Amino acid sequence: MTAAIEVDGLRKSFRSRAVTVEAVRGITFAVPGGTVFGLLGPNGAGKTTTLRMLTTLLPIDGGTATVAGVDVARQPATVRQRIGYVSQAGGADDLATGRENLRLQGALYGAARGQLEGRVAELVERLDLSPFADRRVRTYSGGQRRRLDVALGLVHRPQVLFLDEPTTGLDPQNRAHLWEHVRSLADDGTTVVLTTHYLEEADALCDQVVIVDHGQVVAEGTPEALKREVVGESLSLTVRDPGRLDDALGAVQAVDGVLDGTIDGAEVRLRVGDGSAVLPAVLGMLQARGVDVESVNLARPSLDDVFLARTGRSLRDAGGPRAEVAGE
Amino acid sequence: MKLTRDVGLLFWRSELQLLRNPVWLLVGASTPLLYLALFTPLLGELPGLHGRGTGAVLDEFLPGILSLLAFSSGAGPGFNVIFELQSGVIERFRVTPTSRLALLAGPILASMVAMFVFDAILVAVGIAFGFHAHPAGMAVLAVLAGLLMAMVAAFSMATALTTKEISGFAAVINGLNLPVLLLAGVLLPIALGPSWIRALAHVDPLYYLVVASRSLATGGLASSATWEAFAVLVPLCGLTLAWATRVYRRAVA
Repeated sequence: MTAAIEVDGLRKSFRSRAVTVEAVRGITFAVPGGTVFGLLGPNGAGKTTTLRMLTTLLPIDGGTATVAGVDVARQPATVRQRIGYVSQAGGADDLATGRENLRLQGALYGAARGQLEGRVAELVERLDLSPFADRRVRTYSGGQRRRLDVALGLVHRPQVLFLDEPTTGLDPQNRAHLWEHVRSLADDGTTVVLTTHYLEEADALCDQVVIVDHGQVVAEGTPEALKREVVGESLSLTVRDPGRLDDALGAVQAVDGVLDGTIDGAEVRLRVGDGSAVLPAVLGMLQARGVDVESVNLARPSLDDVFLARTGRSLRDAGGPRAEVAGE
Repeated sequence: MKLTRDVGLLFWRSELQLLRNPVWLLVGASTPLLYLALFTPLLGELPGLHGRGTGAVLDEFLPGILSLLAFSSGAGPGFNVIFELQSGVIERFRVTPTSRLALLAGPILASMVAMFVFDAILVAVGIAFGFHAHPAGMAVLAVLAGLLMAMVAAFSMATALTTKEISGFAAVINGLNLPVLLLAGVLLPIALGPSWIRALAHVDPLYYLVVASRSLATGGLASSATWEAFAVLVPLCGLTLAWATRVYRRAVA
């Protein structure tokens, strides 16, 4: 497999008034062709900014990026021919039907009239749009609209498809449905790059991920390999009296088999060797110290734990909801 | 070749969107008619026009409304750009190899066609009430109105792309609206004002269209007002389009 994307030392900063924000600070990764690649990270980590540079939407400040064999900074027009991009907002025309949207998109990519109808029908079929393809987009549900957005990004048979937060706002059923479509694209040889802050999404869908934080790569590899790096299991518990969180942490760290622990918001999070063996000892210790336990959760390592191990913060809490620097 | 094809595609896209927006159609067609219906009776009482009948009042007033329509039609595409920035449409087009000039020209031409349709309705209604339309004069006026509309539209679209937010964009457009309309003498003749107002009117592009429209409506094809309007609007429209294209190329590179 040759690399569909090679990114080396990519940088971007934004100036607003007197403040300069370094959104992307030297990101490097490679994406093998025909795979699903995930950029994972909290809001404001620089995922979207990275994607926008790779899709020619933002000028690159430093470093190099090659997409589908073409240098993004030198030949943006050629890159545009080879990639599809679906932004967070989507961007289908509300007042046009799904089919009209696809037709226009195909025509703008220069499709010949004779081939356009066939391609549109193919995409309608492929993304299960047929029941509503001739209705105006304004009447679509979230899941229907998202599938049309993806179809719009595919109209010119791009080698690489970029999806920015493709399943944000979708219910679990529609999310799973979209995952199937994305998976099948990769199976047919299209390289898919997506950003997400959903761990399950990266875990379930991506062949490889890079975890990005503060504009830098903090971890990369297959989800499995990354999880393997995090030794043991994750045990989190909440106590009835939040004022005793520190007591609780101090107490359980003495228990055999507890590797380390942190306080994460309102819960104590522990990394433990064998969870089922350690759990009774942990609860016993807390009872002995008079700390009332409210809830306990034992989990196999997730990408969240990888993020926590690398950054000391939980992915769910890192970054504000509006922290992402959108920029032009 | 690619440019004309893209302009055509985006022209039809915009035109369809206008046609599928019934509220916009209704307001667009009825606003100029409301101006006529509500202003004509008022103007009939002006000293110079008193007692000369509705036809004479319309001859004086309707050309101004056509100019006003050219100005206000230009703001629409800008508001649409703000909406399309937020809904991701602009970004979707940006990653396609679509000609950047077509992104600008398609919506402008679509709104221009809509404006001409509204103009035609207005003139037809005016004729029914005694307006004396001179076909050749009206044709020349249409060219001038098209120039001004294209200029305002290019300005509003580029401004929308630069300000990105409705608040900033609306502030610019609304801030310009009142002085441009008043100085042009669309609603009240500028001749009523003191000399400094009359001097200031000459920096207002719409003023030249309004003055030319009044002489063209009476059939004065080769009047100096017509030449002046062309002399002002052709280069100004060209400059604005060039600037807007530059803004589009840069922001939508």
